[in-house]
Amino acid sequence: MTTCRRIAITGIGAVTPVGNDVRTTWSNLRAGRSGLGAIRGFDASGFPTQIGAEVKDFKPERAFRDRKLFKFASRTHQFALTAAEEALVDAGIRPDQATCQRWGFSAGAGMMGVTFAELESVHRFCGAGDDFDADGLLDQRFPADPIAFCRTQTNAGLALLTRHFGIRGYATAVHTACASGGQALGTALRVMRRGQADFMLAGGYDSMLNPIGLSGFCLLEALSTDNDTPERASRPFDATRNGFVLGEGAGFLVLENWESARLRGAQIYAELAGDGNSLSSYRITDSHPSGDGPIQAMQQALTDAGMAPDVVDYVNAHGTSTPMNDRSECAALRAVMGPHIDQVAVSSTKSCMGHLIAAAGAVEAVVCALAIRDGIAPVNANLVQPDPDCDVNVVRGQSRPMRIRAALSNSLGFGGSNSCLAFRHPDDVTCP
Amino acid sequence: MSSSPRIVISGLGAVCGAGRTVDAIWDAVQGGRSAVTLISHWDTAKWPVHRAAEIQSVDNQTLVEDRKLHKLISRTDLFGLYAASTAIEQSGLLSHRDTLGPDGRSHFNERTGVFAGSGGGNYQSSYEFFPLLTTAGGNLQTFGRELSSLVNPMWLLKNLPNNVLCHVGIRYGFKGANACITNQCVGSALAVAEAAASIRAGEADRAAAIGHDSPIEPETVLHYHRFGLLSEAALRPFDRDRDGTVFGEGAAALVLETSVGAQARKAAPLGEFLGSGCATEGTGILDLRPDGDGLSQAIRLALADAGLSPEAVGMIVAHGNGTRASDASEAMAIRRVFGENPPPVTGLKWAYGHLIAASGVLDLVLALTALRQGVVPGIPTLNSLDPDIAPFPVSSTPQQPRSDVALILSRGFGGMNVALLVRGVSSRSVG
Repeated sequence: MTTCRRIAITGIGAVTPVGNDVRTTWSNLRAGRSGLGAIRGFDASGFPTQIGAEVKDFKPERAFRDRKLFKFASRTHQFALTAAEEALVDAGIRPDQATCQRWGFSAGAGMMGVTFAELESVHRFCGAGDDFDADGLLDQRFPADPIAFCRTQTNAGLALLTRHFGIRGYATAVHTACASGGQALGTALRVMRRGQADFMLAGGYDSMLNPIGLSGFCLLEALSTDNDTPERASRPFDATRNGFVLGEGAGFLVLENWESARLRGAQIYAELAGDGNSLSSYRITDSHPSGDGPIQAMQQALTDAGMAPDVVDYVNAHGTSTPMNDRSECAALRAVMGPHIDQVAVSSTKSCMGHLIAAAGAVEAVVCALAIRDGIAPVNANLVQPDPDCDVNVVRGQSRPMRIRAALSNSLGFGGSNSCLAFRHPDDVTCP
Repeated sequence: MSSSPRIVISGLGAVCGAGRTVDAIWDAVQGGRSAVTLISHWDTAKWPVHRAAEIQSVDNQTLVEDRKLHKLISRTDLFGLYAASTAIEQSGLLSHRDTLGPDGRSHFNERTGVFAGSGGGNYQSSYEFFPLLTTAGGNLQTFGRELSSLVNPMWLLKNLPNNVLCHVGIRYGFKGANACITNQCVGSALAVAEAAASIRAGEADRAAAIGHDSPIEPETVLHYHRFGLLSEAALRPFDRDRDGTVFGEGAAALVLETSVGAQARKAAPLGEFLGSGCATEGTGILDLRPDGDGLSQAIRLALADAGLSPEAVGMIVAHGNGTRASDASEAMAIRRVFGENPPPVTGLKWAYGHLIAASGVLDLVLALTALRQGVVPGIPTLNSLDPDIAPFPVSSTPQQPRSDVALILSRGFGGMNVALLVRGVSSRSVG
């Protein structure tokens, strides 16, 4: 191979429950400050779970003058626009006339979302009786608001962002539940390696913190019900963990060919070095306790990156804080890493910012890029009583300064899709 | 490029309003029989739109035998699982796997991918909350308290966009590379492209690519109607009097694998995957460029990917959704790539409606059948070619493909365009 096919991360952006930009998010994650609290966006007091990880004081119109743009943007799309803008500014490059066809887009998008107010309105006109009365839709303006329709389309975020940023190349939106963000970045990596794009804007966005989204997870009893101690509710790998905490937000990365990033003197956070992608084919909500499924994803990511397990210094775990996930993931980590796992710093930043569902993998990729650049493994907050079934070297108490040669980020989804991304320190990259 | 493996197609499956086997759908297309009829999902007596191509005569148990699963997945997933099963069973992969030892089987499963293009959700799924909303009477606290007594605990899982991936995996044990693409109308075309790319890159040895959708529901129909995108009469691709598209529902699926793998297990290929191209016009959710620039770019990328010149293409299955703007710009794009003498063009949505996320792979399955029969089906709803589009090689009667290569076009919201190229296997050459 004469040309260097490596892919550089040159820009990052994030809107999270612990900060509406990268700087704030990262400083809070390093300090182990929690973004969890009582849900304020709606009255959750009757739900079994009344806590969440909300994005707070979000004022997107500050960054965007285009009013019309926001008419077509739901809350989750506003997160996406904001995080993507930050990533492009950070990268110092954006699509233009000459390059727009070489820019691609890949995003993990949340499930189709109808706002609660819209659903209530349809219910009022069509659903009050025993049978659904479709005719109720015909005379009402609100249930047939064309802009509301546009916002609900599964690729509405793709449509908004590619238009706003002027992207004209390969574009895709994917959804594999909690693995979506990781799989979107994996797709972006492959599209670039295939030569179908020279630049990618890739990430994920989601917001299920509404009565319907919260209902879905409450019904499955997947959420922590520690309503009196929200800051402690997400405690991955702790023996007393009892479910995840639902979050919201967006993360975006700018990916670029290594050579061209170097030539233009771009800052390079890390190499997006490898991707592993597997299907557990076990149960809808869980992987096998042995870690089967996640094991293959991690092994493939290492192989794809050309990495031996013993260069991995940090793992940003999926670590949802559910009893099953954390146990199965730790079993997988030990199976893949062998004895070296005792040397690997493992943390789940969901301990501070909750579970961002389709955005989780993208935001956690941003975290890995920062961890490598700054040489810091962020703390896994709230680990007080380690679970003997989660026998890994969790970053406990405070964040750990350390040079990180390589990092892995896991995203394991409902439905059994598993994503593992591998990142390499830019100084360790050799390009011919 | 030269080192990447050739990819063949070894299984096909489809279900839509026009039939539940590929042969039945082909017979309907050949016979000029459209499945577009009166909507039965709800009473449309007072509605401005009455027609769609529904799947009406197939019960859920014919689609998926396992009754327990019916409570865990939605209608669109039943279609997807059915099409996937048909394609996988036709491919003979499972009986081949049975001949392997335990390690061989496990390796086989880990090297088998599943790629789906999914509609991603619908409005109706949230209507399951209506009894709860009635009880709550606007009080969210009551809503929360009564939640578990009035809503199916499996509600979220039932509506996961990636259910077909999940259940194809669980049913067949496949554990390899996977993706669930929720990119509206181009979802299943991209699923095929990504499945093939995964095999080419050596990430999988074989994969199922599936598209499924069920867009025929009141809210979606009403919105499309208000945007002026639906016809009340018929879907007439490229016709002077075309006035919109008509919804269909269903699923289609392919099994793709390396030609080396297919030869080794003596599977007869049904076609070959040659290349794909994808481009957005970046025009936002509803708009598209009048010049079809994103589509011509996607076609050029697919030709380059396949290493083919435009002259090599023997027929085109156009997106042909019957709307004014899409068909006009599509014809422009085709002419920009193929010049004044494009190969025969057809569109098939008049027969089974527009399946949205599932349309690309269904068109692909039918394109392979057309190449096998050596016939480019006519468009019976084409009365008079739009003079703004003419000359353009569409016809109400069958045409002859110029070669064994078909180009399949998919377009969708977000200014999306995907082009796929396949080589067919003629029934004569198979003997």
